[in-house]
Amino acid sequence: MGYVNLCNVITDFADTTSILYIKQKNLAMTTTHTQQTESKFVALASIAAELYSVMTVAWGVSLAAKNAKVISAQSGEKGRGFQPITEFIDEIAQLAMTGVNEINNEALQLTKIAVTEYRNIDAYHRFDSVREKNSKAQYIKSMTPAMKQVEQNMQLSTKIFKKSLSNLTQLLETMDEYMLSARAIASVSRIVTSNAQEYSNQLKVVADDLDQAASYIKDKLSESYQHLNNVKMQTH
Amino acid sequence: MKATKIFDQGHQWYMFGRDPEKPEGIIDTNQYMVVAGNRALLMDPGGIEVFAPMLGAILHHANVDQITDLFASHQDPDIISSLGLWDQALPNAKLHAPWIWEGFIRHFGMNNIQYVAIPDEGHNISLGSVDFELIPAHYLHASGNFNVYDRKAKILMSGDIGAALESSESPLFVEDFNKHIPKMKMFHQRWMPSNRAKNDWVNRVRELDIEYMAPQHGRIFKGDDVKRFLDWFEALDVGIAVQSEAF
Repeated sequence: MGYVNLCNVITDFADTTSILYIKQKNLAMTTTHTQQTESKFVALASIAAELYSVMTVAWGVSLAAKNAKVISAQSGEKGRGFQPITEFIDEIAQLAMTGVNEINNEALQLTKIAVTEYRNIDAYHRFDSVREKNSKAQYIKSMTPAMKQVEQNMQLSTKIFKKSLSNLTQLLETMDEYMLSARAIASVSRIVTSNAQEYSNQLKVVADDLDQAASYIKDKLSESYQHLNNVKMQTH
Repeated sequence: MKATKIFDQGHQWYMFGRDPEKPEGIIDTNQYMVVAGNRALLMDPGGIEVFAPMLGAILHHANVDQITDLFASHQDPDIISSLGLWDQALPNAKLHAPWIWEGFIRHFGMNNIQYVAIPDEGHNISLGSVDFELIPAHYLHASGNFNVYDRKAKILMSGDIGAALESSESPLFVEDFNKHIPKMKMFHQRWMPSNRAKNDWVNRVRELDIEYMAPQHGRIFKGDDVKRFLDWFEALDVGIAVQSEAF
């Protein structure tokens, strides 16, 4: 199978699964209505926790891809069609590992920003309560510069939080797209391996591993979306 | 929060406490402020939950810009967990606190205020016209602990020493020392770990001329009640929880 055909198969597969993907996201949003009690901090920490195991899975796929490269090299002409696919699989595994690292870093950063934002909002409300309840205090005006500063800090931290939240959403979406591609590659791999005669079983195992890994990672991403939606619902 | 001026001769001492809006379940605390000219010192400014009423009460008596110095006798949350909020209200202030607690106290959030580490032997805080001596009170109850002594006003802010556990409606001053003892006894026996440290403190404080002894919980001792307290405290066996009969 040529590269163009392979790409067409991947595109078709991606079109079909993107509908499922949207449905999955909608389902995630509905589920969050029942999980509103999860705090922003817990939700953010949970994203990193959900994706922690992905790293090991992605590393396993990368190893399988390297193994497949060896098999396809040994199989000569019979495994020729599989050789470019092993490159794709390895590339996808590498992208998954890098992506998870980025997501974890962003989630950690977002947790830190959330703490700062929480402190700034808390300070603002407490300062505001001082202003409201002590409007006749002789020295109340001396609070004005601190009050303005606290308000600015609150606005700034909220802005930074929203930006980081948007980055995290984008990283999760990118990872989701990688996994769509991974499943498409796995599907194509199964077709190609059927021509590899005595090597087909070994190569099929690699394709199956990739499919299972992509499916597992997509599940984890779906759970991460649920946590992320909880965060978004608490962000004004 | 109630504010009471307890001294006014050239500089002023205020006591803040007995807050009727204090949330249930948190211990009632006394906060103190000295205003000397255009500067002020806040002592044991309190926990997060009392920050707003405390700041509101202060603004009736001082400008926030006047507050140049904070003092924390030790690291407990009822003493200084409001630090992160003061840090935003008083970005240019200094916090005088035991060196031993610096790494702990910073957990409350301190980005702007300067930490002035008090050495074990103590140091002085000067507000220009008035100096305050920081009297070591280690192990009473925290392992790094100080009192504030104002020689001019003859006031000793004694932190947890002299503290009593009672309702937030109780009077500000001890009226009958003997009746006050049951409110203090368990607190001192359970929270104070060392008889040796206690007696050393009593001996040093006896040398000071004290008209008011102002603790962080409960009532203020004045006049002869200060001596009565020192005698009572000296005779009290503390650190009782290590004795099996205590259980």
